[in-house]
Amino acid sequence: MTFAQVLTPPSVGWIAIAPEIVLGVGAALILLFDVQFKPKKSQLAFATALVLVTAFVFTIVQYDRVQTFNSATTDQVTDLVAQAFPFNLMIVLDSNAVFGRFAMLLVTGLGLAAGWRLFERLGARAAEGLALVLLSAAGFTFMASSTHLMMIFLGLEVGSISLYVLAGITREQPRSEEAAIKYFLLGSVASAVFIYGVALTYAGSGSMNLLEIQGIVSRTVFTRPAVLLIGIALMVVGMGFKVSAAPFHSWAPDVYQGAPGGIVGYMASAAKIGGFAALIRILFTAFPDFASTWGPLVAGIAALSMLLGSTVALVQDDVRRMLAYSGVAHAGFILTGVVAGGAGTSEVWFYLGVYTVQLVGAFGVVAAVAGAASSGASIDSFRGLSKRVPFLAATFSVLLLGMSGLPLTSGFVAKFGVFTEAWQAGYEWLVIVAVLASVIAFFFYLRVIVAMYMEEPVDEAVAMPGLSVRTSLALAALITIVIGVLPGPLLSLAGEASPL
Amino acid sequence: MIEVTAGWYLSLAAVLFSIGLLGILVRRNALIMFMCVELMLNAVNLTFVAAGRALGNLEGQVAVFFVLVVAAAEVVVGLAIIVAIFRRRESASVDELASLRG
Repeated sequence: MTFAQVLTPPSVGWIAIAPEIVLGVGAALILLFDVQFKPKKSQLAFATALVLVTAFVFTIVQYDRVQTFNSATTDQVTDLVAQAFPFNLMIVLDSNAVFGRFAMLLVTGLGLAAGWRLFERLGARAAEGLALVLLSAAGFTFMASSTHLMMIFLGLEVGSISLYVLAGITREQPRSEEAAIKYFLLGSVASAVFIYGVALTYAGSGSMNLLEIQGIVSRTVFTRPAVLLIGIALMVVGMGFKVSAAPFHSWAPDVYQGAPGGIVGYMASAAKIGGFAALIRILFTAFPDFASTWGPLVAGIAALSMLLGSTVALVQDDVRRMLAYSGVAHAGFILTGVVAGGAGTSEVWFYLGVYTVQLVGAFGVVAAVAGAASSGASIDSFRGLSKRVPFLAATFSVLLLGMSGLPLTSGFVAKFGVFTEAWQAGYEWLVIVAVLASVIAFFFYLRVIVAMYMEEPVDEAVAMPGLSVRTSLALAALITIVIGVLPGPLLSLAGEASPL
Repeated sequence: MIEVTAGWYLSLAAVLFSIGLLGILVRRNALIMFMCVELMLNAVNLTFVAAGRALGNLEGQVAVFFVLVVAAAEVVVGLAIIVAIFRRRESASVDELASLRG
């Protein structure tokens, strides 16, 4: 071997992390740009849109690359494995990661557009807020695209710590501060619980790489698997916190009520995408053989989330608290798909994709009605909205009906998918609970729609939102209807999304 | 003479972690609660180091560095939030933060 061959630089699979590089570097450049040139808000908006579109283009390139992996012949496989697992198996380029990025970037774009008025009102802090949003998006997509538990933890922290700051970014408002400290304290406890689960899994199995763990646990007969089982349970609990599943949901209503209205839709959706992406990866890649052990745990959390979320949401007088509790219920519905194991992956992704779009849209309407920098949105301020701003009332109704799972909306297809998978996996009781919970949930969505259409208008003037907000809300409502009528394309895209 | 095996360290870490978690539940001062989170993270570090040594691989030792960095980042954000609240209220007790009812 000659010296030159020894010194050949290793080929680095940059394409596998290109969207995250774009998001991270973009966030840094926006901060520098802001300090140096004091740009107008419209220029900041343009820069952020440019970053998101560039990241999106790289994700399409990745999608194309994954297609070639999947259609590769056997003699090409060894060559392609290195490309699919760059960075010493820390990152994986598969359809699961690519679908996670698509969902995350869509939600980020919609969320920023719907809450743009918040960034206009933040003044000099607008660029910081935008940079934090981009960084947290990068963190959560890393959670979807790693097979290493330490990397998943780092992605989780990059995303979560950015969200703690975003929750308190309107610090003039006491409620925003309060939301930030509550989110921070409970969120860091959840992170500690998760990383303790990682440590115990490592102690029990000897590896932190999910693929290696799978290999080890599948050919080892554990005489005392307690350490490993506690580790799995703690990781599930930690992720349960992040996706606001009951009984770990207590932070969600306070945070989603107190955090600034313009960003709360993004916060809620991003944490759900990241948390479920990591949960799918950990449970389905590393522990498919332990499904009989973690299945009942996840099913219990799912049942409790659905029942508690739906019933408590009924008695809320604040629309943002109601949406937070409905988010708890939806975390339960998505977990119903998770208990089905690897077979449920595509249904879980489909549900996540359509629900997060509805959630971002719904919080966008709330921000347009109650103010983008506000804390809280009483249901009274929605009275007679159909007579004041018909556009907002109509889009909100479509999005709420979509969340309730009415046929001909995307929510119905999503619920049908996860329920079918859970039923086939033998969790009939869970599906019955889920159907009951959906019926209860229908009432509180209906309560808001009744207030908007059948009650006398209150005097509060609501301005017609700006063009970016209107586009974003209309797009969210349109996606809800179009996917409900024609779910085929998204179903096939989500159908490909399975972790390696 | 009792030999101190990895199990002892894991048990000690579990105890420390439980003390931290209990502290979060019973203490009402935001700073103390925050210190309890740090205690939990250090229990995690002890688990990583003990497991890494028992297994004879370096991954556990390296993991500690990552956890430390994350803990430092959390300190930066957490203390900033606590200071912002203290300036307004002259108190770091979470009981007074009750305008949002969970």
